[in-house]
Amino acid sequence: MALLQISDPGARPTPIGIDLGTTNSLVAYVPLVGGPATVRDCDNEALVPSVVTYKDDGSVIVGRAAKALAIEHPRDTISSIKRMMGRGADDPETHRLAPYRFATREGAVVKIAVAGDRVVTPVEVSAEILRELYQLAEDALGPVGGAVITVPAYFDDAQRQATRDAGRLAGLEVLRLLNEPTAAALAYGLDSKQKGTFAVYDLGGGTFDVTILQLDDGVFQVRSTGGDSQLGGDDMDRALAEQLLAQLKDEAIQSDPGTVRAIMDGARAIKHALTDRDAVDLELELPKGGALHARVTRAEFDALVRPLCERTGLACRRALRDAGMSPTDLDGVILVGGSTRVPCVRAYVEELFGKVPLDSIDPDQVVAMGAAIQADQLAGNSQNEQVLLLDVLPLSLGIEAMGGVVEKILPRNTPIPAGAAQVFTTYADNQTGFELHVVQGERETAEACRSLARFTLRGIPPMPAGLARLEVRFEVDADGLLHVSAHEQTTGIKQMIEVKPSYGLSDDEVERMLLDAYDHAETDVTVRSLREQRVDAERIAVATRNALDQDAALIDEAERLDIEAKLAGVIDAARGDNHHLIASRIEELDHVSRNFAGRRMDRSIKQALAGQRLSDVERDTAHAEGTDRHTSPRKDE
Amino acid sequence: MDPFATLGMPREYALDSEELERKYRDLQRALHPDRHVNATPAERRIALSKAVEVNEAYRVLRDDVRRADGLLRLLGYTGKGDIADPELLMEVMELREALSEAKQGKDLPQVQKLASKVQSLATTTRRELAATFGELPADAAPIALAKPAELLSRLKYYKRFLDEVNVIEDEALTWTKAG
Repeated sequence: MALLQISDPGARPTPIGIDLGTTNSLVAYVPLVGGPATVRDCDNEALVPSVVTYKDDGSVIVGRAAKALAIEHPRDTISSIKRMMGRGADDPETHRLAPYRFATREGAVVKIAVAGDRVVTPVEVSAEILRELYQLAEDALGPVGGAVITVPAYFDDAQRQATRDAGRLAGLEVLRLLNEPTAAALAYGLDSKQKGTFAVYDLGGGTFDVTILQLDDGVFQVRSTGGDSQLGGDDMDRALAEQLLAQLKDEAIQSDPGTVRAIMDGARAIKHALTDRDAVDLELELPKGGALHARVTRAEFDALVRPLCERTGLACRRALRDAGMSPTDLDGVILVGGSTRVPCVRAYVEELFGKVPLDSIDPDQVVAMGAAIQADQLAGNSQNEQVLLLDVLPLSLGIEAMGGVVEKILPRNTPIPAGAAQVFTTYADNQTGFELHVVQGERETAEACRSLARFTLRGIPPMPAGLARLEVRFEVDADGLLHVSAHEQTTGIKQMIEVKPSYGLSDDEVERMLLDAYDHAETDVTVRSLREQRVDAERIAVATRNALDQDAALIDEAERLDIEAKLAGVIDAARGDNHHLIASRIEELDHVSRNFAGRRMDRSIKQALAGQRLSDVERDTAHAEGTDRHTSPRKDE
Repeated sequence: MDPFATLGMPREYALDSEELERKYRDLQRALHPDRHVNATPAERRIALSKAVEVNEAYRVLRDDVRRADGLLRLLGYTGKGDIADPELLMEVMELREALSEAKQGKDLPQVQKLASKVQSLATTTRRELAATFGELPADAAPIALAKPAELLSRLKYYKRFLDEVNVIEDEALTWTKAG
């Protein structure tokens, strides 16, 4: 029987891992032979500066070329956009030393006016960076499969959603959002076959993460995570730049965007130079004329950076405490992120954990490499032994209750995927609606936490106060993304919630951007839907076929024939051009194979509880299948 | 939901934590969404909901307070809220007052002294709780559950106290700079 066109595994699209960084981004993959490698551009550079320049003619430039335009076009060249992902336009952190033309100082989404009469959001700017990496990978590797994009472990839900949206907008199939420290541990763990408990200290350009995890027998289990999504090497540059700017005295020059840029670049150059020198002299030509002379010693710089280190120390202590551990329980500390090259940061980490940190993999590249390994495994390509990443929710999720107090529904460090429900009741007689406010964070009041979404459940029949029972259920998927549903238990009124995000873009807005990205929106979207449905149909057909072949024993003849018939229907529809038909046939197949799927899963659970490994089971079933395959009648196409 | 059954563990307070970890990992190896990326939608859905259930059960079992709570409910305990034993309340109130004084005086050694005192009280309570649960017959009458319920309330008070100590210890990192 001809299934759909199943391409030769050797020519399968390559899955990629993307480290979308504050300062630099990069893309890696796992070649057919050997460990993960980064994709390099024509100049043999792996790092793509996370900088985007918008030009008057509407063109967009990304990377080193954009960075070179920064001083000339300070307002149209956007850098460190990651810090604005999922933040509000009114967030003071957004505006600090950022020389851009903000289109608004209010509202849920940062909007920046750039050349060519455009207004862009952080999601769109990030999508430009992702598109560049996508292109780079495609030029080097041929067709690209899905992508794993890394995010700081400490990113909240709005920041994760924004990252996923940027991936979609760039046209990537986002297989997974992976936490950066977990990605780094994966790269280290597979590299050295380590076993034990490790702390990953990840200080990047704009974010800090610390993760405590255990490696055992191919399982990477995160015990706790902590951090600060607004702390990184950028802050070192800013601290130094603020000091240098103060030397200029003239306020007009101090606030000139080109000058600010030049000084930020100068500060970064000093930081880099101080990595292996004790003092640096800076001679900086200023765009508005004049020059800045400065001498910065290592000791002066260390004093500026020390408070930032101490902020990381607080997060590290908390993470250890949440994991129920002390530094002596750790087998090692892994350094990740370019900012861990700063000597006083290293010294601080060593002092904090009482251990010489591990840094055998380039701290700039290790996250992308881990992401590539995960992408390879999720795409089912891996020749390596299967590993499993068990991650956690970084920040508690809750609902605002009466009096502005937060009722925590899922506490931080809960293993994901996770679910939990909480029942609320009415406080007024004949109350017919519930106003719900979803927040994330550790503080006691909703006001002090991060607002994620607000929604209303309506249509509750009038009853006395306290009688209605509203169950709110939170589900966090393996990407760390939250889904909320609610239903009123006495009447059964159920709602998948129409969430109005407090920050970031709604699904409709992203959809509109996607449409705008195509010239002939209507037809392109249809073509895209058809392609996606066909890929889906192919995957499902293969999966169903495999399940039927492996587990003939779990299914009776009538049920099997039913599934075979619906499977043939899917395959048939996938040959046509009607994506609605494909979707409905997939739905029909899904409906008839539910019971079979349930039995398969129950069997896996029994085997797991009996301590049987999947690999053992697979070997057994492969053996059984050998005899089964030829005897089972098959409906021919 | 019976978290013990979900993880295939015996219904005991004094669990073998290594066994719990092993069972948890084996189940996640079978159920985690990453293991089912190429499965049919029905299988993906079922695996996901089971993986969530296993994580929920694991969260209950690995925490001693939640585990004791879960065990009491499974044994048929229906009491609500914490049991306010006046003697316990007095003890906790005195400890809290001492803690709040130590905090105000920025006396970190005193905070830590109180913490280790409560820590050892908590350890003793855990031991008693394990013994009490261990002696319960499988068909224990509800009245027999009053003792473990009271011990659990005690443990909860101690844990809350220790949480507060953690917050103070974090704050203490800024004391030295200020003073």
